[in-house]
Amino acid sequence: MYKSIDEINERIRDGSVRVVSAEKMPDIIDELGVEGALREVDVVTTGTFGAMCSSGAFLNFGHPEIPIRMEKMWINNVEAYAGLAAVDCYLGATQESTIRHAEYGGAHVIEDLIAGKSVELHARAKGTDCYPRTALTNEFTLEELNQAIMVNPRNSYQCYSAATNMGDRAVKTYMGCLLAGHRNITYSGAGCLSPLANDPTFSVIGSGTPIFLGGANGVVVGEGTQSSPGNGFGTLMTSANMKDMSTDYIRAATMTGYGVTMYVGVGVPIPVLNEEIVKHTAVRDEDLKTNIVDYGTPSRDRPVIKQVTYAELKSGSIDLNGEEIRCSSLSSYKKAREVAGELKSRIENGSFTMGLATRPIDALKINKPMAEKGNVRRVNEMMVSAFVTITGDESVKQAAKRLLKGETNHLPVIDAENRLIGIVTTYDVSKAFAKDEQDMTVSEIMTKNVISISPDAPVDFAARKLQQHNIGALVVIDSGRHILGLLNSYDLGDLVSGRGSN
Amino acid sequence: MVEFDAIGVQSPNIAAAILKSGVLVNVDRAQIDGDEGWALLDVANADTEKFIAALTGKGVSIRIQKDAVTHNRTKCVDCGLCISICQKKVFSFDENWQLVVNSERCVLCGRCAMYCPHRALSIEK
Repeated sequence: MYKSIDEINERIRDGSVRVVSAEKMPDIIDELGVEGALREVDVVTTGTFGAMCSSGAFLNFGHPEIPIRMEKMWINNVEAYAGLAAVDCYLGATQESTIRHAEYGGAHVIEDLIAGKSVELHARAKGTDCYPRTALTNEFTLEELNQAIMVNPRNSYQCYSAATNMGDRAVKTYMGCLLAGHRNITYSGAGCLSPLANDPTFSVIGSGTPIFLGGANGVVVGEGTQSSPGNGFGTLMTSANMKDMSTDYIRAATMTGYGVTMYVGVGVPIPVLNEEIVKHTAVRDEDLKTNIVDYGTPSRDRPVIKQVTYAELKSGSIDLNGEEIRCSSLSSYKKAREVAGELKSRIENGSFTMGLATRPIDALKINKPMAEKGNVRRVNEMMVSAFVTITGDESVKQAAKRLLKGETNHLPVIDAENRLIGIVTTYDVSKAFAKDEQDMTVSEIMTKNVISISPDAPVDFAARKLQQHNIGALVVIDSGRHILGLLNSYDLGDLVSGRGSN
Repeated sequence: MVEFDAIGVQSPNIAAAILKSGVLVNVDRAQIDGDEGWALLDVANADTEKFIAALTGKGVSIRIQKDAVTHNRTKCVDCGLCISICQKKVFSFDENWQLVVNSERCVLCGRCAMYCPHRALSIEK
């Protein structure tokens, strides 16, 4: 049996169309079988509502009486890309305000515009014969713009890794705050309700597919950036008119310590045309697997801690090494249901019609990592290999002599097997002398929790570590805690000082 | 929540109340210096009255902590990020995936308010 898109649209027009949410589809297929479900259901609606950083909008302001070709511009102090000439810009969701920083950004401007609020534009230009103006400040609302077209380069991930932190300090990420010692797990995505989970082979979703975006009837532009459906991480580039959007489905947000992002509601209706499509919409949370990865490791290839299903993630707790760890989403399942529900009612009341994709999306494509030209500099290239050490049972006075002799401020303390057990600095030693404690042993005054690093770590990690702990040097050790050298902050120069205070 | 003024901080009021009442309490959080201070105590419901009676001393005032977390329903999108950040299980979902706040368990750490992506939570001491 086969059903055409025209038959479905005919049913939308005469009001007889049968639409169900993707959540309900597996049970229907269990009851009626694949062929029965194909006969019974015309459209399956999907939905997701979560943080989609890679979002933004093209805005056109119209030409003022004295024309300007805007080269730099800010909306409510959030910079928008103006290299499009002359009164156009692209406002990215994650761009932060020059004044309010992470508490207000591109996403907030977009939400304010959709809410009908007035925003302030400030633009600068060098001035030309045809565009003589060099500066402009003006207020405007969404209604006054010629176009406000949301174009989101990467939305609606097919699947996303869940996050925990195996490290010993909390990390602030786009997956939220991950507590030290894997005390929490966060995840994103609506599982069985997610658009691409219901069409993993892109058999119906492609360029031109009509979708619900932020409350508006929109469209899939095509493959999203970083799309990698070949290994289960497909994405979509989406677009819709901002003037038709609602703040029910577009919300600005700030991930504290990370930055601004935008919560976007995306819903894709899947026309039930053949049995293959029916089979794909039979997906349940139990079938959707993802990995919990360690965000405590600050590199691209984060270690996988455990494979889980969305059903396990949605249960609220996950067993990690025998411990029940609390687990929660950063996307909203309630809102995802609202998206799928709203899309369902639009199709039922005839205000949303179906269409076939005009160009397919490559369902086998696999995303490539960046091939960095030039070397990543490692700690062992920058460390000082000549260093002096001391043992814990020597006196503070001995430590002072050793520091002077070694012309250094950092004196690693070792045990009988040459393993690192502590550190004393010139500050510790001076303090001991000031308190008349020079006859104490080194082990009594040393810092036991030494901040160390491995020799093959990139220097950027070392720089971040130095700054986070506000210290002058890291001890470089191998896996057996044997000292290989010292990495001083002054040797890293700009890598440390150029990072600013936050 | 027990608050101490300049006189209240001079005596071991909490310790005395524990000995006097025989009620075991858990100090969830406390901040006390030379002039004033406060302590958040977790006391079993059945023992509350008995313990409060024992703690009534000079310069000590007691308040039952109830609505520490203010939840702005308009700003909240029910994402649930607060659920796993809070180790005291203040937050949970109902059967419709809507956020439920149980303020009674709050120990005022403030982490939920700090990390709520939509700034929909605030803490009042």
